[in-house]
Amino acid sequence: MTVDSPEEPDAMSDGSRFRIGVDIGGTFTDFCLFDEMSGTLRSLKTLSTPDRPGEEVMTGIGELEHRFACPAGAIASFVHGTTVGVNTVIQRRGAELALFTTREFEDVLEVARLKVPDPYNIFSRRAPPLAPRERVYGIAERTLLDGTIESPVDPEDVAAAVSLARADGADTIVVALLHAYANPTSERAVRDAILAADPDLGVTLSSDVWPVIREYERTVTATVAAYVQRRVAGYITSLQAALGTVGVPAVPMVTKSNGGIMAAELGKTNPVAMLLSGTASGGVGGATGEVDVLSYDVGGTSADVAVIRSGSPAFGTGEMVGEFPIYVPTVSVTSIGAGGGSIARVDDFGVLKVGPESAGSSPGPACFGRGGTDATITDAFAVLGLLGGKLGYGTVTLDREAAEHAVGALARRLGMSLVETGESIIRVAVAGMYLETSKLLARTGADPRGFALLAFGGAGPMTACLLARELGMKRVIVPPLPGVLSAYGGLIADIRNDFIRTAFVDLDPDGLTVLDRHADDLEARALAWLRGEQGFAGPASLVWSADMRYRGQSYEIETVIDRSDLAARRIEPVAEAFHREHHAVYEHADPEAPVQVVNLRLVIRGSVPRPEIARNRRSSGRPPVFGTGRIRLDGADRDATLYRRTDLAAGQSLSGPAIVIQDDCTSVIPAGFTASVDDWANLIIEPET
Amino acid sequence: MPVDPVTLEILKNHTRAAAESMAYTLYRTAHSTFVKETEDFTTGLTTPSGETFATPTELGATWFVGLNYGRAIGLIDNYRPGDIAMTNDPYSGFVCTHSPDMHIWKPIFHDGEIVAFSVGHVHNTDVGGAVPASLSRTLSEIHQEGVRIPPTKILEEGELNRQVLDIFLANVRAPEQNWGDLKAQIAACNTGERKVHEMIRRFGAETFREGCDALLDYAEAQARAIVRALPDGTYPFADYMDEDSVDGWPCRIMLTLIIDGDRLIFDFTGSDPQLESSLNMPTGGDERHTLLMVGMTYVLYSLDPSLYLNSGIGRVCRCILPSGTIVNPVFPAAVGMRTLSCSRLQGLILGAFAPAAPDRMAGAPGSGGPIMNVNTTDNATGRRIMAAINPMTGGSGGRASEDGQDGSGANQGFLKNTPVEVNEVEAGIKVLRYGLAPDSAGPGLHRGGLGTDMVFQAFSPNTRVTARNRDRTRFTGWGIAGGRTGGPSRFILNPGTNHEVNLRNTDILTIGPGDVIHVSCGGGGGWGDALQRDSEAVLLDHRRGWVSIEHARDAYGVVIRDGAVDHAATAALRAERRGEATDGFYDYGTERTEFETVWNPANYAALTEGLARLPVHWRFFAKHRVFEAMDRMDPRKRRGDGSDVHRMLATLQTEFPQLADAAD
Repeated sequence: MTVDSPEEPDAMSDGSRFRIGVDIGGTFTDFCLFDEMSGTLRSLKTLSTPDRPGEEVMTGIGELEHRFACPAGAIASFVHGTTVGVNTVIQRRGAELALFTTREFEDVLEVARLKVPDPYNIFSRRAPPLAPRERVYGIAERTLLDGTIESPVDPEDVAAAVSLARADGADTIVVALLHAYANPTSERAVRDAILAADPDLGVTLSSDVWPVIREYERTVTATVAAYVQRRVAGYITSLQAALGTVGVPAVPMVTKSNGGIMAAELGKTNPVAMLLSGTASGGVGGATGEVDVLSYDVGGTSADVAVIRSGSPAFGTGEMVGEFPIYVPTVSVTSIGAGGGSIARVDDFGVLKVGPESAGSSPGPACFGRGGTDATITDAFAVLGLLGGKLGYGTVTLDREAAEHAVGALARRLGMSLVETGESIIRVAVAGMYLETSKLLARTGADPRGFALLAFGGAGPMTACLLARELGMKRVIVPPLPGVLSAYGGLIADIRNDFIRTAFVDLDPDGLTVLDRHADDLEARALAWLRGEQGFAGPASLVWSADMRYRGQSYEIETVIDRSDLAARRIEPVAEAFHREHHAVYEHADPEAPVQVVNLRLVIRGSVPRPEIARNRRSSGRPPVFGTGRIRLDGADRDATLYRRTDLAAGQSLSGPAIVIQDDCTSVIPAGFTASVDDWANLIIEPET
Repeated sequence: MPVDPVTLEILKNHTRAAAESMAYTLYRTAHSTFVKETEDFTTGLTTPSGETFATPTELGATWFVGLNYGRAIGLIDNYRPGDIAMTNDPYSGFVCTHSPDMHIWKPIFHDGEIVAFSVGHVHNTDVGGAVPASLSRTLSEIHQEGVRIPPTKILEEGELNRQVLDIFLANVRAPEQNWGDLKAQIAACNTGERKVHEMIRRFGAETFREGCDALLDYAEAQARAIVRALPDGTYPFADYMDEDSVDGWPCRIMLTLIIDGDRLIFDFTGSDPQLESSLNMPTGGDERHTLLMVGMTYVLYSLDPSLYLNSGIGRVCRCILPSGTIVNPVFPAAVGMRTLSCSRLQGLILGAFAPAAPDRMAGAPGSGGPIMNVNTTDNATGRRIMAAINPMTGGSGGRASEDGQDGSGANQGFLKNTPVEVNEVEAGIKVLRYGLAPDSAGPGLHRGGLGTDMVFQAFSPNTRVTARNRDRTRFTGWGIAGGRTGGPSRFILNPGTNHEVNLRNTDILTIGPGDVIHVSCGGGGGWGDALQRDSEAVLLDHRRGWVSIEHARDAYGVVIRDGAVDHAATAALRAERRGEATDGFYDYGTERTEFETVWNPANYAALTEGLARLPVHWRFFAKHRVFEAMDRMDPRKRRGDGSDVHRMLATLQTEFPQLADAAD
C-alpha cells in the first residue's frame, strides 16, 4: 500500500533535479522530496517492510515518479536513514561475537559500570552482553597508560584463541585491549594474527570504532558495532544495487547519529555511527530558524524529545541502542513512553494511569478499527471530537463508536462521564510528558520559558499546546510536513564526521605540545576522510574542542577551543574557554584550579547546499473555514473551527478553539491560543497574553 | 473534599517533576567531585509536618526516599519566608544520620502559612574531626566525627547567617567545597519552592495541600496491599558483622519480623548493645526512622515496582528499638561508619522477609567489599595523589526464577565503579586484574551473583590504602531454600608470595613500591539445592571462568572432565551426596554455624537481656568480657542454655560492685 500527499502530479519538466530524504520507521517509511527547480517540498509515506528491508524504498521511488513526476534518473541526491542496525540489536539477530580482551579483564562487559538499571529494585539486572562471556578470551599482552607496550602480542596465543572462538561458533571477533586508545598497535597485531589464522572472520577493533579512554565504554560500543556490521553492510550493498538498477545517479548517503550524513559505502565499515540516525535527523530537521527549541516527536508508542539550542542539538554519550549504551557522538534524544497508542487504565487503587504500555500500530487504538480494545490517547481525542474522518494519508478511517466503547469502560470504573474520562486521559498523559520533559530541561539547566516546542510526528501537534501550557512555553511550532521531519532532516544535513584522541594532559606548555601533535594527526585523518574516503570537494569546516575538567573531577565538559592556541602554546584562552563553559553548565568555576584535558575532539563538516525552499504564498485575514465541530476541551463543550492545512497561507492567523487537519496529523489549538502561518508555512501557535 | 484520582495522578507527576528538578539543580551546581561521583545526596518535598511526599528516583542516594524531617523541623520555631535551616547533628532531630550529611530544609509559605518544606542533604567530603573525611571505625564518640551544627537557620528571611557559616567552615578541611555544595543545596531548595508555588497556582492551595496528603495515603495503600498479600506470621532472623570494633568480637543484629494483615512490626530486641566504634545507627528510637525503612522499601518496591516511593510506605511498619543498642544508640556514641551496619541491616530485612515469600525473595546480597581509596605519590611529578579507586561490590542473591546478578545489584545497585584505565592514569597504581571473583557465588539451584575482584600494585613508598566497610571475611552471606552461602570477601597483601598477609577486615594500611593488593567482595547467597542445578549451567559457569573444577565438584556435585560434564560420574556423585540438605530454610555457612554452637539463641538472648539491664556505658565493655570468658571456657563444660552467660555477668558484677548497684 502506498499513500501520498494529495497534490496533483506535477508536469514532467526536463532537467529537473530532485533531492530525496528517506527515513524508515517502525510502521511507515517517510519520503521527503525537494524539487530544486520549483523549490517545493513534497512528502510521501509507504508502509515499512521490516522483513524485507529496502523494499519500501524501491516502492517509494516508484511512487515518487508516479505521483510527482520525479524520475529515478533525476534524483541528484539521496539521503537515507535506516533502523536496520537498531533492529538487529533489539531482535538479537546480529553476529556471533567473540571478544578478545587483555588477560585478567575478561569480565569487562559483565561488570560494566556496576550500576543496575533500577537501583531501587533488588532484582534489577543488566542485559546479557552481546558477546557472551564463554566466548571472551584473554590475550596475554599489556599496553601501559602512556601507550608503552609492556608485553607485546604473541600471534600464537591469538591463533589459539581464534581456534577456540571458531569452535564455539563465533563469526566475528571484537578486540578491545587496555589503553588501546593511547596506542592501537597491540589491537592491530591481534587483528593481523586473527586474519592470518582465519581470513573469513570479521574483526572489529575498539581503537577503530571510537578510541577513547574507559575500557567498558569502548568495549561495549565496539561490540554493538561488530554485532550489526554484517547486516548493515549487507543492507547497504543491496540498497546500492537496487538504486543502480532503477537508475538513480546519486551516490547514496546515510544519516548519522551525530546529525550529519556520510556516503552509504562508509556505513559498511562504520555502522555504529548511523545507529541512532532517525531521531538525530528529526533533531536536525527541527533545528531550523528558531533559536532554542524543544523538539517533540510523538508517534504511536513514544515521544522523542531533544533540546536544540541556537539551532544545534545537544549531544550525549551513552545513548541507548536497545539495552546497550554506545559512546559515539550522538544527538541526545530522550524517549518517553507516551504516544498516540499509549493505553489508559485504572489501577487497583482507582487511580487513572496512561502508558507506558502501548497498543502500537497493531492492533493500534480502538478507533483505528483494527481489533484494538484498550482505550488509548488517540481514542480519548476521538471521544472529545478532536479527531475524526480519515487519518494517516487516508489509511485509517476513524471509528468513533469503538473509541467510545473503549473509553466508556474506564468511565464506568472512574464514575465519570465519557468526555470527562476522555479529558482525564489527556490530562494524565500530558502530566506524564510534563514530568519527563521537565526532567530533561532541568538536567540541561534549560528554562522552558525561553524555548519553543517544535511538534511533529503523527501525534505531536495534537498534544503540543497542552504540554507547552504546562511547561510555561511561549510558542509551539508545527512545521509544514510534520509527518516526515526526520526525512527532511536528512535532506538538509551536512556531511560530518567526528574524531577523538585521548590525551590526559595538564593544561600547561607540555600538555599543549602533546595536544598540538594530536591535533596534527586528527586533522590529517579528518581531511583524508572527507576528501578521500568521502570524496567531497566542497567547502569544509573544522571545529575543535577538548574534554576538560578540574584536576580531581571525574567528569569532563566539552569545550570549543581554537586550534591556533594549541600551535602557539597559548594556555590562557583555552583555560578561559573552559572556565566559561564550566560556569555555563554548573553555575560556578574555579579560575585558580589546575585544568586537565582528557580528550581532544575534531568535527569535520562538508557543507551541502541548503535547499532553497520557495516561500509560501501570502494572504491576509482569516483563512477559509473548512467546517466546525463540537469538541470538549479544558472542561467545557465548545465549538471549534476546522481548517485544512493546505488552505492556509502565510500571514493568515486563526484563534482557538480550532483544529487544523492535514493528511499526516491533526493540530489542536485550544481556546486561549492563536495560530499564525509564516513564510515557510510553519504554523506558529502562541498563548494569548 | 478529597482529591479526585485524576488530579492526584497529575499532581503526582508535578511533584515528582519538582523533586527531580531539585535533584538536577543540586547535582549540576554542586562543587565537590564527591557529590558527582557518588550521588550521595537527596532532594525532596515534605508536608508541613515533615513527611516526604515527593522524591527523585533518577539521581541521588536510594536510602532516603521516605525521610521524615518532622523532629528536626520541630526544633526550630517561628519560621519566616526566606528562612532555610540546616543540621548535620545525628543527635538533634534524627534526620541526619552521620555528621558528613548536611540536611537543609526551607519552609514554603502561601498566604502566610507553611504549605510544604523543600528539603535535601549532601554528604560532605569532610566536616572536620579526628580524621580526614571525618569517618573511621576507630572513633568512639560523636565529638570525634567533626563539627556538629544543631538545627539552625543558615538563612533568615533570605539573609545569610554569616556567623554560623563561618563557624562551620572554620572547622572543616576543605571549606570551599562545603560552601559550594551548600550553595547548591540552597539552589535546589529554591527550585523546590518555585515549583511548589507553580503547583499552587495550577491546582489551588487547597488541592495542593490535600493532594500531598493523598499522595502519602496512596503510597501507604499500595504498601498495605503488598504486605497483605504476604502470609501472616512471626519471622525471626539475625545476622552479624564480623567485628564490633577493630579486631573486636562479632556484632549481632536481631530482627523479629511480624506480618499481621497489612501491618508490619520490626522488633530489634536481642540486637547488640551500642558499640564503642562508629558502627552505631542513630535512629533516636523513631519507630519509622528512614535507616530502618530502607530494607523494607527495597522489599516492597521489588515485589511491586509500581509502588510510589514516599514516606507513606513507612506507615505500614513500626519498629521496636531498645535504647542503648546498635539500632538506637544514645549520645554520644559515634555513628560515622553506620554505612556498614546499615548495609547489614538492609540485608537482614531482606532475609527476614524471605520465608514469607520464598519463591520471590533472594539469597543474601553480596557484601563486605570495601570502598577503596589510594593515597600515593606520583613518581613523575612528586605530587601526592588521593583517588577513590572502586567500590568493591558483590552480586545479588539467587532466587526461584534466576541466578543473582553478578558483580553488583540488590542493595548496592546504585554504585558505580571507576574504569581500570582511569584508575591507572589517575591513582598511580597498576591494575593487574579486575573482574568477577571465581567461586564466590553462593551455590544453589540458582546461584548467587559473583562478587567483584581486583588486584593492583603500588609504585611508591608510603602508599596508604583505605578500605572502608570491610566485612564478611568470616560470616558469609546466607543462602535460602536449600541454597548455600556466598563466598567470603578477601583482602590480601602480596598474594602467592612468601610475604603474603591476610588482611581480613583491616580497613587502613600503608604499603610500598611493588606491593600487591588483592581485594574482593563476598558473593550473593544461593537459592535451592545446588545438587539439582543443571549440570550444563555449572559447565557454562566453568567455561566462563567463574566456577573451578574443584568448586563444581564440591559445591554442585558436577564432575567436569576435558571441558565437558562427565554425566555418569556426576550422577554417581550427586546420588552419593543426596540428603546433604541444609538444616532449615537458611544456610549460614560453617563459620557462623560453628560460632552459633557456642553462641546459640539461648546464650545470645541471655547476653542481650543481661546487658540491657546494665547502664549503657557499661554494656560494650561487659559484652567483651563475657565473650572473652566464653572463649576461655572449656568447651566440654559449656552448657549452652544461657546459664553460663548469667554466671559470667554475675561475676562481672562481683568484680565491679558499682555495676551491681547500677543494675538494681
